Amino acid sequence: MSKTDHFHHHHPQQQQQQRNGLVLPQPCPHLPEFRSRHGTKPLRALQECLRVRPLGRAAIRRDPNEVPRCGLCGEAARPRLYACVACAAVSCHVHAAAHAESMPPGHEIAVDVDRAELFCCPCRDQVYDRDFDAAVVLAQIVASTLGGSIRSPPPENLRKRRRVDYQPWTPDLRERVLVGGNSSPLQLTDGDSSSDLPWGLRGLNNLGNTCFMNSVLQALLHTPPLRNYFLSDRHNRYFCQKSVASNDSNSNKNSRLCLACDMDAMFSAVFTVGRTPYSPAKFLYSWWQHAANLASYEQQDAHEFFISMLDGIHEKVEKDKRKPQSQGNGDCCIAHRVFSGILRSDVMCTACGFTSTTYDPCVDISLDLEPNQGASGRTASSKSHHSCNGEADSLSSSQNCGISTLMGCLDRFTRPERLGSDQKFFCQQCQVRQESLKQMSIRKLPLVSCFHIKRFEHSPIRKMSRKVDRYLQFPFSLDMAPYLSSSILRSRFGNRSFSFDGDEPDASNKLSSEFELFAVITHTGKLDAGHYVTYLRLSNQWYKCDDAWITQVNENIVRAAQGYMMFYVQKMLYYRASKKPVAS
Amino acid sequence: MRASVKRPPTPDADEEHDQEPTLQEIINIKLIESGEKERLKELLRERLIECGWRDEMKALCRAFTKKKGRNNVTVDDLVHVITPKGRASVPDSVKAELLQRIRSFLASAAAH
Repeated sequence: MSKTDHFHHHHPQQQQQQRNGLVLPQPCPHLPEFRSRHGTKPLRALQECLRVRPLGRAAIRRDPNEVPRCGLCGEAARPRLYACVACAAVSCHVHAAAHAESMPPGHEIAVDVDRAELFCCPCRDQVYDRDFDAAVVLAQIVASTLGGSIRSPPPENLRKRRRVDYQPWTPDLRERVLVGGNSSPLQLTDGDSSSDLPWGLRGLNNLGNTCFMNSVLQALLHTPPLRNYFLSDRHNRYFCQKSVASNDSNSNKNSRLCLACDMDAMFSAVFTVGRTPYSPAKFLYSWWQHAANLASYEQQDAHEFFISMLDGIHEKVEKDKRKPQSQGNGDCCIAHRVFSGILRSDVMCTACGFTSTTYDPCVDISLDLEPNQGASGRTASSKSHHSCNGEADSLSSSQNCGISTLMGCLDRFTRPERLGSDQKFFCQQCQVRQESLKQMSIRKLPLVSCFHIKRFEHSPIRKMSRKVDRYLQFPFSLDMAPYLSSSILRSRFGNRSFSFDGDEPDASNKLSSEFELFAVITHTGKLDAGHYVTYLRLSNQWYKCDDAWITQVNENIVRAAQGYMMFYVQKMLYYRASKKPVAS
Repeated sequence: MRASVKRPPTPDADEEHDQEPTLQEIINIKLIESGEKERLKELLRERLIECGWRDEMKALCRAFTKKKGRNNVTVDDLVHVITPKGRASVPDSVKAELLQRIRSFLASAAAH
């Protein structure tokens, strides 16, 4: 089916509708018939009966205190009760079809009174009406934001840049000559047998407990957007130093400190042909200048180093007043352009449903491991063993078998969490402190997602630290769609047929939430006497980078390793429309 | 638009007056009117998500839908498929907690 078919031939009964990446089932003929018979008046009348309960659950009631009961059997305690949209007669799900049959044509569509979802009685199945769903969602949003008078500030600049299609490009003859005349070719081989290893794979010498730094550097050297940035000379260390030094008449060593320049030097060295391990001494020294409190020969935490390094690159970027300093959209520096995403935090009052929303940039996501093996709260039973053997669905069987997975951790990260009674939140609607639910979701995905597993627990009270060794299963391909704010909101507001987060309504959303694993930093050993190793995936081959030693390994070794930091890159990169026109 | 959308159909209401409401019905109405039913439902939702029950039911629905084909499955089918297993696999701790909440509600409702 070509693209034009979607736009020019509208036959809802004959083709699956695709809207905002959701594939809707083929609608039955009864809903369009109903709309043409009754118009939109009955559905609009329904909207007046919409009652939004706390936590956003929409219900249909004529009077707020109405107790609906089935007209045929008198039951009020049925799990599903439906009100006929045409005549408001209430039936339970057993008698719903009977009502439609017993009345003249025009009573086929009903609404679930507790869920505000449309139901087709003769088909005995749910149907979706965009206008009705839009009205329900609007009512839910109004109920959660003080009538819309308090709107959560959208993250900056996210709405303004539309996506541009990828245009394939190859150099023409003139450009080819230009490139050839201004570059010198790299030698493909240097004679030794290890020339079948890919570019840029070089060991890093350990300078004294610096495996925490080496492991992170290896991951960053092979982070595709970062590697491309430095290798295409986007930060040239010669020009940068000159411009910084010229402003400082003292010209002492500190003024030339720029972590991005040191990175540039490292990229140049590592991606040069040669297999002797590289010593990142200059980089270590520069980083010590930046993070003086961590400057020692003691083993440090790799994750702490990662954060500190990104911060160092951000700080030392040329202080250009035209450039925004905010990290949310990544315009400030390459570190944030690659790693920065935006997290959304919703705090909902359990009494009135008022929701307070905040957005915060983040360069990684730190995840807790489960407190105990497998799904908490379940009693061990023989059912678990059956599920392990039979179930095809890996999520369900791994929960029953007690294996922690990365997706399980992300599930718990985005699950609504009831804040304790000692953490009551001041509700603007109730004007008192109330118990509340907090839910995290991802508003904007970064180009590269770094997941940090909290394996090191520090308890300042007990002055004890311990390491959690439990194995965590992580996938090689990861779809982040279920953890996006749009997905989380959709599931909070019920089974609605459209996305209402507003921006990015194109189908390329699906592609932009798919990620591929390219680096894993593992930690083995004890908390104070351990070792970091990085596994890199290049051209679908895995390589173990253990300080100065690089070896090719089977992927099963990686799967079995104890993941501490996992790096995933967006499968499909896209272009944003440029703000400035480029001279051709 | 027919005015009957806003009025309860009168014939049904008459039939109800012939029978005394059962104890179950009285409790149900009290639960609804006090808002306790809604709170119990929220609590139940939280517990069933925490223990993985909801994910299990989701997996069952997915497997069934895969087998029958996406366009051949109705809400009623799914409810029929998962209800027996769903009822059977609610953890005892969740049942106990809900029962305890209902008991204390009844005790306080009876006092008034």
